[in-house]
Amino acid sequence: MAKEEALGKKPLQILEKIRENLEKLNEKMEIIIELQKRERKELQPLPEAPLDVMTLLSMPDHLRKTAMTVCRLGRATADEIAQQTRRARAVESAYLNQLVIMGYLKKERKGRKAYFYVDREGQG
Amino acid sequence: MGKIIAVHSYKGGTGKTIISINLAATLARRGKKVCLLDLDFRAPSIATLLKAENVNYWLNDYLNGTCEIDKVLVDLSERIKNNGKFFVGFANPATEAIRDMTAKDRKWEMRALGRLLSLRNSLLNDRGFDYIIFDTSPGLQYSSINAIVSADVVIVATTFDRSDVDGTRRMLKELYELFEKKTEIVLNKVLNDISSRSEKELQSRMKDVYQAPLLGVIPCFCDVLKGEGHIIFAQEKPEHPFTKILEGIADKIDGLV
Repeated sequence: MAKEEALGKKPLQILEKIRENLEKLNEKMEIIIELQKRERKELQPLPEAPLDVMTLLSMPDHLRKTAMTVCRLGRATADEIAQQTRRARAVESAYLNQLVIMGYLKKERKGRKAYFYVDREGQG
Repeated sequence: MGKIIAVHSYKGGTGKTIISINLAATLARRGKKVCLLDLDFRAPSIATLLKAENVNYWLNDYLNGTCEIDKVLVDLSERIKNNGKFFVGFANPATEAIRDMTAKDRKWEMRALGRLLSLRNSLLNDRGFDYIIFDTSPGLQYSSINAIVSADVVIVATTFDRSDVDGTRRMLKELYELFEKKTEIVLNKVLNDISSRSEKELQSRMKDVYQAPLLGVIPCFCDVLKGEGHIIFAQEKPEHPFTKILEGIADKIDGLV
């Protein structure tokens, strides 16, 4: 019985690992796309920029919605943001990573989860 | 869960402050726990209007991160009958303080937004306030937009002045709508021939002009404008038509969100 369970779990674990790796690949591709747009070559995010209300106002609508939700929640995963905005998790994940690359949000990994937040105290 | 209401307008002199004070007082008179915050740092007036004495900490200090909100709030509940709670946070009216607030940079404004957003937790959740009312500066000021972003509902005070109507329409499309804020219009200083029209007629006219709901219509009351020291009309003149209109607005506010 225990053996069967273990066998049953293994494919799930493998699938989970594949999903994680795909997500990491996605993130890297998003960074490359964003940096290409800005004609920058190194794989480094842009310098930190304050996410103030004037910046929020001038953002494209789709990014503003995500950024506003992070502001409201303080610190959240792509899943939590997606629940609030009622958009797909993968979509939110892409927008969040874009906001990180633009220097407006910070990202912190804790185990399997990635948290996004506005770094209000750390800047200057 | 309480609500945060920002009272804003395109132009100055539309009656934001008198609406804020009296709406806060009206809600407090109903037994609610209300907190009125003066976020008009360019022209602070609530401290003078409510004759605040011995204020040790201002909202300026809270936003600067030098004190917590508890230190700023002054309990003025004794000015309101009916067991309501009426707390006020004042903006510092000293010229130096105004100058200091106008010279803040984007990073400071970003932190100030964080401090305003955290009031939801500290005042609504932890201290059990039913309402926070922000009185703001007119137009597109940083402090006002910070207040709008932090609020659940925006009450826009407007008059029939042509430039005010145009500006208000632009703000509805290019400010409140972008932040997906629930917006309600209060038409203030309305001349008698218009205010005597039926509410239905005015509602449909407002829908045409602003495409936003009309929360209330306040006629031009000379005695309200003159004030004569009776700033909390809702308390001092309970039978005045202005007080009655504010009660109607408070009824609708209670049903919103």
